[in-house]
Amino acid sequence: MSDLLTVQGLSVRFSGLTALEDVSFELGRGEVRAVIGPNGAGKSTLFNAISGYVTPTSGTVHLNGELLTVMTPHAIAERGIRRTFQNGGLFPALTVLENVLTGLHAQTDASFFDILIGRRQALKSEAANIARARDLLKLMSMEHMADTPAGDLSGGQQRIVEIVRTVACDPPVLLLDEPAVGLSPVARDQMMDIIRRLAGEKGVGILLIEHAVELVMAAADKILVMAAGKRIAQGTPDEIRQDRAVLEAYLGHA
Amino acid sequence: MQMPTARQRRLRTILFWAVPAILLLVPLGTNAYTQFIVNGMLISTLVTLGFTIVIGNLGQLAFANTAFFGIGAYGSAILAAKLGVPWLLTIPIAGVFGAAGGFLASAAALRGIRSYYLAIITLAFGELMRWTYLHARPLTGGTDGLPMPRETLFGVSLTDDTVKYFVFLVVTVLLVKATANLLASRFGRAVMAVRENEVATASLAIPTSRVILVTFIWSGFVVGCAGALFARHIGHVFPESFGMLHLIASFAMVLVGGLGSVLGAVLGAVVLTALPEYLRAFPGMEELFFGLIVAAVLVALPMGLASLLRRMSPIFVERFYREAS
Ligand SMILES: Nc1ncnc2c1ncn2[C@@H]1O[C@H](COP(=O)(O)OP(=O)(O)OP(=O)(O)O)[C@@H](O)[C@H]1O
Ligand SMILES: [Mg+2]
Repeated sequence: MSDLLTVQGLSVRFSGLTALEDVSFELGRGEVRAVIGPNGAGKSTLFNAISGYVTPTSGTVHLNGELLTVMTPHAIAERGIRRTFQNGGLFPALTVLENVLTGLHAQTDASFFDILIGRRQALKSEAANIARARDLLKLMSMEHMADTPAGDLSGGQQRIVEIVRTVACDPPVLLLDEPAVGLSPVARDQMMDIIRRLAGEKGVGILLIEHAVELVMAAADKILVMAAGKRIAQGTPDEIRQDRAVLEAYLGHA
Repeated sequence: MQMPTARQRRLRTILFWAVPAILLLVPLGTNAYTQFIVNGMLISTLVTLGFTIVIGNLGQLAFANTAFFGIGAYGSAILAAKLGVPWLLTIPIAGVFGAAGGFLASAAALRGIRSYYLAIITLAFGELMRWTYLHARPLTGGTDGLPMPRETLFGVSLTDDTVKYFVFLVVTVLLVKATANLLASRFGRAVMAVRENEVATASLAIPTSRVILVTFIWSGFVVGCAGALFARHIGHVFPESFGMLHLIASFAMVLVGGLGSVLGAVLGAVVLTALPEYLRAFPGMEELFFGLIVAAVLVALPMGLASLLRRMSPIFVERFYREAS
């Protein structure tokens, strides 16, 4: 299997603090790779470094062989790496539908001038996106919320809309930062189901940060365990379950 | 939120062109004085519109609006008075000058100067422009200002307020429509997204810097065009027209109409341009009453007059996408 995303020797230092140290792994098509580790382990920093929000001190990120490490966040997103945010990245004043449409921003060819003068052309490419956004919301049984401001949704609904927005453009790679946090047990299972389906049916390569170990064990193909910025283990759920370093450093009950 | 139905959307499209068509009849009901006031409303509409997209939609505390206005007005007056350019032609050129002002103002925001710091720096920009009008005497006439040359349009003198009205109306309607088009598109959504969460916006392949830049430029263009109208409106541009008072008045119009609302820009401009005329009945108390009324409106309607209409009918709901009607 040729790798989609290749992360090599990635390190991030914040004035003295080494938040990420020499982390390497590959992510293939249709693969769900979980990233686990205690608070402050550097999981979100890993996402920020991949998606261009922090500049790595060293190391590289490649997507389909293209070097991303020097690009801005929006250029990286344009290449096909889309992410969610640990603290939620929705736009509260925009409606659910508008939020999903922002995920399709790059999916229209309407030029500034066409929009300005209201050319039919511009409305047509917009109509296709609106239809797609509505379809996706329907798929998630959220279509009745389309016109609700995102800020009025429950925390769980917001997580779902954020995922819909991120996958709307069919990105090859998804980085999900604790998508199940704050969800009810039922909703968490649904979320994991959605993630598995995105990988299985659409071949999306997914990196998933998640604290609930039992969820991760069920949902992930591979697990990357981090502590203090370092990768301390990597492998299938079964391998991780038996890994001594993990038991000591993370699960904390050897 | 209650969204307009397909029928209401069609009705809205019709209204958008029907209202200006009806407004063509306004000169039938005005005298020289009231026509002058109405002309001022059109100019204020554009000034407020340009302001509201930056502080309302983009959410940047930038107060360079009056600078764009002055740049447009002086640009138009200098072109007309010194170079003999027909006034009509100076309108889009003044827009481009205003857009250049917008470009400069965005440079501050793009360098990471935000919130109060952006407010101060853009205020300084406005004062610097006023200082320039005062001191670039050969070009601007200094304190004496710059008179607009006499001109005719299709054989009618451009001193006639009715003639001006028709030009102002066409320019205003086109710019309001274009701005509404922009906001109801992926561009308008991106502007709002930057306001709501700039970091998340970039993760959606939206070039946030370009969004900020273009918003400022469009704001400058609209307000610059308004400046050219204003030069013809009063027939003589003076530095005092482009000071703090103008900025505060425009800010009040933005707030009274409703931050970030196209409809609100129109309402705020019309209502607050008309209000002082009614307050003339209370000599010596005009400013006091004006301030009290503005405050009362904002307390009663924090989202401005536009929110009142939105509550009355979904026709007035402004969203950041447009469905084919
Ligand atoms: N922009 C930043 N500037 C300085 N330090 C930072 C920055 N971002 C993260 N850090 C630090 O880097 C370390 C790793 O943080 P990170 O957010 O990656 O942890 P995490 O594994 O995601 O933790 P959690 O499970 O709590 O989300 C922490 O000590 C954090 O304080
Ligand atoms: Mg984190």
